[in-house]
Amino acid sequence: MPIVFACAASHAPGMTAWTEAAPKEQADKFLGNYKKLGERVAAAKPDVIVAITVEHWANFFLNSMPTFCIGRAEHYDGPVEEWLRIPKARVPGDAKLAAELIDACLDGGFDPMFSDELLLDHATFLPLHFLNPNMSVPMVPVILNTLTPPMPSAKRCFQFGEFLGQTLQRSDKRVAMIATGGLSHWPGEAKHGKINIPFDKRFLDNLITKDHASLMSYGYDEINTEAGSGGHEIRTWIALAGAVQSWKAELVDYEPVYPWATGCGLVAFNP
Amino acid sequence: MSLYQLQKLLYHVNRDAERREIYRKSPQEFVKRYELTEQEAQAVLNIDTRALYTLGVHSLLLRPFTLLNKVSNEDYGQALKGLE
Repeated sequence: MPIVFACAASHAPGMTAWTEAAPKEQADKFLGNYKKLGERVAAAKPDVIVAITVEHWANFFLNSMPTFCIGRAEHYDGPVEEWLRIPKARVPGDAKLAAELIDACLDGGFDPMFSDELLLDHATFLPLHFLNPNMSVPMVPVILNTLTPPMPSAKRCFQFGEFLGQTLQRSDKRVAMIATGGLSHWPGEAKHGKINIPFDKRFLDNLITKDHASLMSYGYDEINTEAGSGGHEIRTWIALAGAVQSWKAELVDYEPVYPWATGCGLVAFNP
Repeated sequence: MSLYQLQKLLYHVNRDAERREIYRKSPQEFVKRYELTEQEAQAVLNIDTRALYTLGVHSLLLRPFTLLNKVSNEDYGQALKGLE
């Protein structure tokens, strides 16, 4: 059983950078559940974490913006943000598995960019802080462009995730897959602070009920209008749903945390 | 309008410590490195959050850039008021 664990989680920087701005009860409950997910990752004893993630102008700019990028580095430094209140760390990479994934993609109809040096920002480091707290489990980042249009379609993300899942199931390593981002949020926009709870609940319901057709039909305009520029990150969750599509999704927590300006979700997938 | 150049300037200031130092020493000289319209250059030099936003700068380039220039959350929100 090479994929031994899978979960999707939001990465609002306020969770660590301004934790205490949120109502204590709400923050304690959500972050407590995040840590418990980390315990489940540890219990699954993964050899490697494959993170379907995003980035926020940490590495890429408009001169060279990959739709999909697989990290093939020996290690990853982060977090980029000085103010995140997560200690700087170097996370080991699994360059061998990354190379195998890239080869499999190129043979299998997907053409990701690859990179031997990537910095990680809060999108990856914040989930790792909870899910890989010693930063000791090697990782492979798989970055989707959810930052600036044109972005990969939800359908393509699902299919890419499906392909990654099928490939990793054949791996001899114990793989934990995580997806990071979302749910609705409008970071730095005029609507900053808004959370669209009905959108978030509909999306979570699509995951829980395995409504793959609906997951694949989310369009750019719909997400942009209803879930904000940050909402595009749900593509990582959609990719993970494709990766473990026979597994049952379990809603671990959902909290619209206004001081963190994000609909915050945690979903675990169980075989 | 040269939004690409304008965003490139912000990206460099945000992400490249050496360029950020040059920007800090002389913003007037720094903006000349980019092909900006007069309006864009002025928006950068005045750290005019609203102008940069309406010119189309990505919010996740704009907020880090304004943070580096000590624009508070309150002032940032106030600058974008009415653009929802």
